[in-house]
Amino acid sequence: MDTILDVQSVHTFIGQYHILQGVSLSIPRGSITALLGRNGAGKTTTLKTILGLLPPRQGKIVFEGREINGMRSFDIAARGIGFVPEHRAIFRDLSVEENLKIAERKKGDYARKQDFIFGLFPDLKRLIALPGANLSGGQQQMLAIARALVADNSLLLIDEPSEGLAPVIIENVMAAIRELSKNATIVLVEQNFLVASQLAEYYVIIEEGRSVRHGLMAELVQDQATIHRYLGAA
Amino acid sequence: MDNFKVTLRKNLVLYLTLGVLVSLLIAAAQGMESKDFVITFLRGLAVGSLTFLVASGFSLIFGLMHVLNLAHGTLYMIGAYIAWTVFVRPDTFVDLLTPLALLLSGFTLQGVWAFVAARIRLSGAMGRILPWGGMALSLVILFMTLARYPIAVWDVEVFAQSPGTYAFMADQGTRLVPEAAVFEGLSPALAVIGLLAGSLLAAFSMVWLAHPPTAPQQLTWRHFAPFAVLSLVGILALIFNEPLTAWLVGLNTNWLFLVSVVVAVLAGMGLGGLMEVTLIRPLYVRHIYQIMLTLGMSVIGVEIVRAVWGRPEFIMPKPALFTGSGPGCPATTLAAWWQLNCATILVLGGRVRVYNEIFIPLVGLVVLVAVWLLLKRSRLGMIIRAGVQDSEMVEALGINVRQVFTLVFALGVGLAALGGALAAPSLGLSYHMGESVMLNALVALAIGGLTSYPGAALGSVIVGLIQQFMIKYGQIGIAIPFTEIVFKPTPPIVPASTIFLMVIILLLLPNGLLGKKE
Repeated sequence: MDTILDVQSVHTFIGQYHILQGVSLSIPRGSITALLGRNGAGKTTTLKTILGLLPPRQGKIVFEGREINGMRSFDIAARGIGFVPEHRAIFRDLSVEENLKIAERKKGDYARKQDFIFGLFPDLKRLIALPGANLSGGQQQMLAIARALVADNSLLLIDEPSEGLAPVIIENVMAAIRELSKNATIVLVEQNFLVASQLAEYYVIIEEGRSVRHGLMAELVQDQATIHRYLGAA
Repeated sequence: MDNFKVTLRKNLVLYLTLGVLVSLLIAAAQGMESKDFVITFLRGLAVGSLTFLVASGFSLIFGLMHVLNLAHGTLYMIGAYIAWTVFVRPDTFVDLLTPLALLLSGFTLQGVWAFVAARIRLSGAMGRILPWGGMALSLVILFMTLARYPIAVWDVEVFAQSPGTYAFMADQGTRLVPEAAVFEGLSPALAVIGLLAGSLLAAFSMVWLAHPPTAPQQLTWRHFAPFAVLSLVGILALIFNEPLTAWLVGLNTNWLFLVSVVVAVLAGMGLGGLMEVTLIRPLYVRHIYQIMLTLGMSVIGVEIVRAVWGRPEFIMPKPALFTGSGPGCPATTLAAWWQLNCATILVLGGRVRVYNEIFIPLVGLVVLVAVWLLLKRSRLGMIIRAGVQDSEMVEALGINVRQVFTLVFALGVGLAALGGALAAPSLGLSYHMGESVMLNALVALAIGGLTSYPGAALGSVIVGLIQQFMIKYGQIGIAIPFTEIVFKPTPPIVPASTIFLMVIILLLLPNGLLGKKE
């Protein structure tokens, strides 16, 4: 199996707190993998560790055959990792168009991807001149995903895409993520198990900073005991 | 229409405050003759422009990096002294070019040194001793070379050779050109070798000590290019020292002024970049240390200026464009001014100094627009605006934010140096010129909004205007309505008045006039 991202027993600290105490992931190319676990288990920290925003103290991260731990974040991202953070982190003072343009890595990225992006999110085209601050939660989520698509990213890290969105909008976002998985590998952090189970092929459960279970989502869905033990309610 | 009402209601306090300020200005105009009003207004704009040059850089740096650069006023002062040196003593400036360029050249090889250091494997003790040894040796070499390096400089102890005397004579139109410094006990070739060797060794030892976590995998010509350029500049400046000095001394003062300002801005940018990379960067997460550091640097800067240029205040002469006199002056029209280059021009019956009260506000306006365009129209500006909100997200998009930080720090300090260079011919040079402008800038930012660029401009203009009107009313007195009393603000009230206004505005609008609500 072709592995695009390999995280090997990574340890990450935030200040003095030992947050990740051995997380390992092996992400197959072209797949959607969901990171599951309770609040505070270390899912978001795992994404930030991969991106180098929280550099790991121990362990190894290999992306596209190259060791990336210890590199600076911008360097890691520029190798083809797109990040859609929790709470979207839209640039509020920038217009929708500027929010997309800033993600260019090569001149003309935005011009090339425009049709694809607005095909996926027709709403954004209409809002192009508006400042990011004026967008609704769902629109911001679409913009955050669109922003990760401007550059050529082979891996997308998406944190809590359904958080705080109305059910109808969640459907839209899910459809978009499915569409994206045709061209990119996706690692998803998702609290909403229903959403995660419908999207992902693989899962990894993180519990108290350790990756404790992984496997096929189809199997997890049948395994009520595991769901109950690690994720609380099903 | 509804939109309008909503905006009005949201910003009611802001509009009322602005309304009160405008009516204050109108009331101020009622109390004096129109020629006094014009002069005072333009002076206010001039003070506002200089304040703005300091405040805008300070606010850009604070907004993006959350660094309170308390040394900003000192860097403004240093800009003034650098411009003065180039303008009044071009020979000293040319003499300094070679040692400065050669000293810096070794430090541009960061990548190379990291590459070499990563490949040296030494046992623990040696690995710690050798870099320190290298550092000590480099300091000895540099000291021995620099102690004998000839630089023609003034002498603050001797009146006839003091900066004030040179400035005075240059202002009178007779430029004193002292004898050129010559090499004695040190051949030029040896000087170049000593400086280069010292710089290379010092830079290498520093990088070796710091153990950079990332080193380039292979070296390309790019790693060597800045070093080659800088060392070549240094050596060329040494070879062509005399003709270069002669050319600068003989240059028309307008062009020399331009050269002085450009050198001051570039030096300020270089100093800012260097400061960010070496001192601020290790302290990004420790704000208290940063404040202590920048405060300490401002004190050190003042002491350096006092040691090098002396304590007495002096002026930088104005370029010929602004010093004309004789028949036809003061000019009555712009065309006449352009022909005669009068020092003053008549506006509504008031004699206005062209440099102080028209040129400086114009430059302030040009900078205001230029930086505004940079922020709004360029990719760098877009990254800055995004980084002000969330620099981590910008980095996660694949943008080297640290480089942008260095660039913005350099830009901010460059603006302050520009302010200092412009202030030198109008306000003069003194080792405490940084303090007052820094205080003004801080008050202006509190009034306008700490991280708002238009706020910095508005606050600066308000501070400048209030101070100048207070000074003017100190002379003519304010007739208090319905009474016989004429109130004359005393000089201590001038700075107090802006702070008083700041307190009122902060009580009404805690984020300043145009600051973002948090």
